[in-house]
Amino acid sequence: MTTEELEKLLAQQPVALLHRLARGRVHRHFRAGKRRLIELLLQHSSQNRAGLESDLQTLIDGQHARSDAGSSRIRRAPVIVHKKASPRGAEPDSAETAVSLSTWLEGLGVPSPQPFVPDPWQSEALSALNETDVVISVPTGSGKTYVAVEAARRAMEDNRSVIYTSPLKALSNTKYTEFSRIFGPEKVGILTGDRQENGQAPLLIMTTEILRNLLYDAASGEIDVRLDTLGLVILDESQYLADPERGVVWEETIIFCPGQARLLLLSASIGNPEDIADWLTSIRSTVCRLVRHSKRTVPLRAGYLHPNGKLTPLFRTLGIPYGHPSQLHPEATRLFHEYEEETLPAGRPRR
Amino acid sequence: MPPSIHPVDLITALRHKHLTPAIVFLTSRRACDEAMETFDHADLVLPPARQEAIAVALERVMTQHPSIAEHPLIPIVRRVGIAAHHAGHLPSWKIAVEELMRQGHLDAVFATTTLAAGVDFPARTVVITQSSIRKSRDFTDLTIGEVQQIAGRAGRRGKDHVGFAIVTPSPYIDLMVLTKGLTGQPEAIDSQFTISYPMVLNLLKAHPHEQIQGILAKSFAQFQLNQRAELLEQKLDALHGQMEPFGPRVCTDWITQWHTFDHARRHRHTRHQTHRSESPEISARLPFLTPGRVVGLGRGRGIVLRQYRSKGQKNSMLTVLRPDNAVTECPVTSVKEVYDRTYDFAETPTYPWCSTGTFDRLSHQLEELPPRLPVLPILVSTGLEPLSDAIVQSLGDFPCPTCSSRPACQKDFTTASRLRQEQQRHTKSIQALRTSLWHRFQERVEVLQKFGYLSPATQLTADGEWARLIRIDHSLLITELIRAEAFTGADPSLLAGVLASLAHDDDRPGAFPRISPGLSSLLGQVRKLAESLSPYEDPPLLRADVAALVERWIADPTLTWIGLCRLTTMAEGDIYRLLARTLEFLSQVQALKFTHPGLAESTSHAITLIRRGVLEELP
Repeated sequence: MTTEELEKLLAQQPVALLHRLARGRVHRHFRAGKRRLIELLLQHSSQNRAGLESDLQTLIDGQHARSDAGSSRIRRAPVIVHKKASPRGAEPDSAETAVSLSTWLEGLGVPSPQPFVPDPWQSEALSALNETDVVISVPTGSGKTYVAVEAARRAMEDNRSVIYTSPLKALSNTKYTEFSRIFGPEKVGILTGDRQENGQAPLLIMTTEILRNLLYDAASGEIDVRLDTLGLVILDESQYLADPERGVVWEETIIFCPGQARLLLLSASIGNPEDIADWLTSIRSTVCRLVRHSKRTVPLRAGYLHPNGKLTPLFRTLGIPYGHPSQLHPEATRLFHEYEEETLPAGRPRR
Repeated sequence: MPPSIHPVDLITALRHKHLTPAIVFLTSRRACDEAMETFDHADLVLPPARQEAIAVALERVMTQHPSIAEHPLIPIVRRVGIAAHHAGHLPSWKIAVEELMRQGHLDAVFATTTLAAGVDFPARTVVITQSSIRKSRDFTDLTIGEVQQIAGRAGRRGKDHVGFAIVTPSPYIDLMVLTKGLTGQPEAIDSQFTISYPMVLNLLKAHPHEQIQGILAKSFAQFQLNQRAELLEQKLDALHGQMEPFGPRVCTDWITQWHTFDHARRHRHTRHQTHRSESPEISARLPFLTPGRVVGLGRGRGIVLRQYRSKGQKNSMLTVLRPDNAVTECPVTSVKEVYDRTYDFAETPTYPWCSTGTFDRLSHQLEELPPRLPVLPILVSTGLEPLSDAIVQSLGDFPCPTCSSRPACQKDFTTASRLRQEQQRHTKSIQALRTSLWHRFQERVEVLQKFGYLSPATQLTADGEWARLIRIDHSLLITELIRAEAFTGADPSLLAGVLASLAHDDDRPGAFPRISPGLSSLLGQVRKLAESLSPYEDPPLLRADVAALVERWIADPTLTWIGLCRLTTMAEGDIYRLLARTLEFLSQVQALKFTHPGLAESTSHAITLIRRGVLEELP
């Protein structure tokens, strides 16, 4: 087959087939459109032309066989019946593509120690914080604390004081210990509902309620608090803004936060961080910068552990198939059906 | 098959696949404790070197927090390398577990899902056993954000290449909730802005009343309301465009006019019915209450301008011209007398229902009326049907039947009226969205004025000045109690007891010490006041048993922490939280030292008495 012929043949195929062909051959093939996909496949074909051609042929044959089985209208029906009747036998095609347990467990282990290099988003957040307020919405465990620590360090080097708030007293205490270790105990103070230590330190840790009260007292002009030298307010776990009982405290704090102080909102992944950023822009003097990403620093894999001790991947893919909750691993589906079969009382409707 | 995996098997499986350290999230504290018990006789002991390392690490934490020395879980932690971490434990224990976990000594920690946000330590693996979570007595499905918060603990930066989130089923688990949670986009968050009494007082202390609307407008709540309002405004603009062909015709408000006419025409029969339901006296009067008729009302007299029926009113309505050019609407039943005097005038279809000249003339004539007027004798006939004529006549009042634009009106009415209704609805919603926060604020202001914390000019009164310092839940109740001098001369232990019953909002059943008569009568007083305040503030649970616990702790300085824990079935962590929250409430009351020195002194006494033993040691 010449390259032109191959190109023509590829162009005749549905794009789904091309994607299947590109799997394992082309990196991030799902990002490519049909034309680009053909280009990439042809590029790849220089390495293993025969393999590509034979795979293409099998796929085309497989497709013919399927379309021969029936018209497209009734093709759906057997799949549904098949699922209901025997959860055991998954489609042969999918069993092939589902990840195996050994692959799933691969790569487990401790990485060799590497010099710490901040992620691009971390540097971006820090440099943006020089000029404006920043909202950070990243997955849990991405390294928000690094940004908080660095930002606090920079502010303190400029002789500006820093307030760090967290929603829970326990978290405040943890951060107090952590920050004392980093900056030295004389630089860090804590104020909670029932604890006050080193209240004149340049870096103060407190619960958000306490900061709100401070801001109220300052607004009515009865305490000095060093709000003029306040350079940075870090609100950790800002997704508490949506807490039914306490969310209002976060809003009050943000509304009354002094104008010269930069606001740094750290939040777990939320659906509408841009709303928060727009809101800050609308009430503060500078345009708030939103830093968000959804990619985890340490990739996550999901598994299913059966009560009898059998472990399988939960999804067909190695990582988590974001946006595709139904791509379950056939083995996990089968085991879970079995589990429900045995544990659910008879007659109880199953979801 | 067991309903869920046995904890020992779970840990064995995780160790076998090198998936430790792991955090296992379980439904309840009890599940965590029971899981720990299963390891009592399990054959899972760690190699001696690791046991030694754990012992050393524990020793180190113990020097800082001696309260954990006697902790019943320590043997298992040392032998097997697993621990439990939930709200029932003292903070010092949780600190110890977190420290051990950070140093990598533990293989697994059993934690409750409820406290997922408080579990601030990562692990290689997270085990999820449920898809719902207990929120104020009900189980609700985990949200996507919550699932990701839980799963997010898996994978330690710099220590793991990959993190693992492992689902293991337990009864009533819904796998879909978890798979959606793992793969989905977290929910958008919404503002939960509420306006509390202390907020109103503090705002008014620092800003004049006129500025407050601007401050409320800066809230995220208003930002989100504005977003919705803007959407509606776009719709409204589109509607305006669609309404263009239906502008003014022969009459300006032809839609209403046609609507009334059409309604009258269609419902001739039903109108008839409603008339019949009116009392014979009223229905007999109706034909005489025509425009121009002079009638006597409860106070003074007036000239009828029109008669109409209104939705929601049982009887026909009148528009009456009263002295001083007032135009009022009243039901026919309020007519006391029908006088034998009418004035002719040309009616118009819109307010004031006659031309301006006529209006002036009529009001002049009304002033000139002699004090006594002959009353019209009206024959009340019960069996007869005098009304069919009236209806025909009332239809005749409409200009529509002979109007030149009648065909056009008839054709366009349905569309135009639908559009107009939508327009009105949107306008109303937009207005509500833009002003609702301000209205809520005003409501609070009115209550505070009623209780005398704010002057009529919305200035803080002397009471308001100190009341704004109480910024906790049930603030109105607490300030009212202080004003009622409920605490005057009360023992510090009683004061703390009452505040504890206000501070503890959790309904956790269990056994408690007997309550003292003094505290019991004081709580009775509090309860009474709370009930009287219930229209303005949700009453607290006011649990006497937790109050007694705090009272005992303060009243008896020889009582040890162990002794206190023995008095109740409450978990150690709960008692600690109860005391800590009481401390928080007490310190708010202590802030009133300038206005209520006696109370503040008693409070600071209570604070020093609370702070002993475990509470002193802990942050």
